[in-house]
Amino acid sequence: MQCKLVPSICSYCGTGCGVLFEVIDGKIVSTLPMKTHPVNEGKLCIKGWNLHEHVNSFLRLKQPLIKAFGRFIKADWEEAIQLAADRFREIIEKYGPDAVGILVSAKITNEENYLAQKFARAVIGTNNVDHCARL
Amino acid sequence: MIEKIKQWLQDGIIDVFLGYKMVMGHPLPHCFVKEKIEEVDDLIIGSSRYSLEKIATHISAAKPDIKIGMLARDCNQRALNVLYIWNQLNPDNVKTVNVNCCPSNLKEHGDCSYIEPETPGIYKQQVGVDNTHRPQDIERCDQPERLSRWMYEFQKCIKCYGCRNICPVCFCQECSLEHKELVGTGALPPEVPIFHLVRAVHMAGRCIDCGLCEDACPVDIPLRLLYRKVNEIVVNVFDYGTGSSADQSPFSILGDKVTLEPKPIQLPETDPCVVSIASEAN
Repeated sequence: MQCKLVPSICSYCGTGCGVLFEVIDGKIVSTLPMKTHPVNEGKLCIKGWNLHEHVNSFLRLKQPLIKAFGRFIKADWEEAIQLAADRFREIIEKYGPDAVGILVSAKITNEENYLAQKFARAVIGTNNVDHCARL
Repeated sequence: MIEKIKQWLQDGIIDVFLGYKMVMGHPLPHCFVKEKIEEVDDLIIGSSRYSLEKIATHISAAKPDIKIGMLARDCNQRALNVLYIWNQLNPDNVKTVNVNCCPSNLKEHGDCSYIEPETPGIYKQQVGVDNTHRPQDIERCDQPERLSRWMYEFQKCIKCYGCRNICPVCFCQECSLEHKELVGTGALPPEVPIFHLVRAVHMAGRCIDCGLCEDACPVDIPLRLLYRKVNEIVVNVFDYGTGSSADQSPFSILGDKVTLEPKPIQLPETDPCVVSIASEAN
C-alpha cells in the first residue's frame, strides 16, 4: 500500500489554482484544494474538484487517432506526426503559409506557448497565432 | 511525539501515519511509512487543516486491514467518531495522536487554520447572513427577512460541490445532490434553496462542526451556521451531540436495534420546527 499526496497546479484554465492529488497505489483517487496556495486559498471550482475524474476517465485519449474513411483509427505518434507534417506541407505549398493558423491555450505553460508561436512564425511562416480565451 | 510515532511504525503497531510535512513551503498532509522512517523527523502539526480522516477512509477502502495512525485535533476526533458509527473506519485499526486545536478564549495557543470568519462587507451585512453569527443571532430577524437573507446567500452558489467534497463525513457512494430528480442539472445557481436544504437535512446527526465546508466555499455561504442550526435541533430532540462519542447515532439503522428516540424532556412549544419533528418521531 502506497499513499502519496502530490501538490500540483490545476490544468483546467489559466488561473493556476493549487491542487493536491491523493494517490493511492498509483491511482489518483481524489483532488483537494491546497489551503495555503496564494491563488485559490483552499477553494476550487467544480472542474478543479474533478481533475482525478479526467485522468481516470475511460474516454481519455491515450494515443493519437487518424481519421480515415470517416472513422478514427488508432495510430502511433510517429505515424500521426508524419501525416500532420505532410498535410501541412501540402497546404502551405498550395495556398501559402497564411492558410494555417495556430491556436494556443491557457492550459499549457508559458514556454509551450512560446514554442507554439515560434513554430507558427519561424517554421510555418505565418502570424496567425491566437488564443483559446478569445473563443 | 516524533519518537513515539517512529516507535509505533517500527513495532508494527501502525502501518502508516498521516500527519503534515512542509513541501515546497506549504504545510501539506503526508503519509509516513516504516520504509522511509527518517521522514518522520520532518513531521509538523501544520497550521493548515486538511481532512486526514477522509484520506484514512480512502486508504482503508483500498486495504481494509491496514493500521492507520494520524494526528487528531478535536474536529478530527469528532469526525472519526462519526466514521466509526457509520462503519467507514474500524476503531481497532486507527490510532490517534491528539494535538492542540483552534485558539479560543480558554486556549491561547492553537495549531489550527480555523480563525473566526472575517467580518462581512457592508452589502452582505445588509442583505446576507453574517458568517460570524450564531443561530440565535440570525433568529432575531423575522421570518420573511431571514428567508430573503438566506436566499441571497444561496443564489451565489456556483455548484462546485466543494462543501460535499471536502466534508469528512460525506462518504455516500450515491449522493442525493447528484440525483437528477432531486436536483435539476444544467442551471446555475442550482435549484435554490433545495440544493442547500437537501445537504443541510443530510447533515443532521452527521455534521461535526469542523468548518471545512465554509473554508472551501468560493462564495462564502455561511454553511457552518446552517448546519449548526440543524444540529441544534438534533441536540434538542434526541440529546445527541454529533461526534461526541462513538456510540450509535439515533439516525443509524445499522446494528441490533433502532434507537430513534426523542430526548425525555418537555419540548419548548415556541419552536414549531422542533415540535413537528418530535411528533413525527413519536
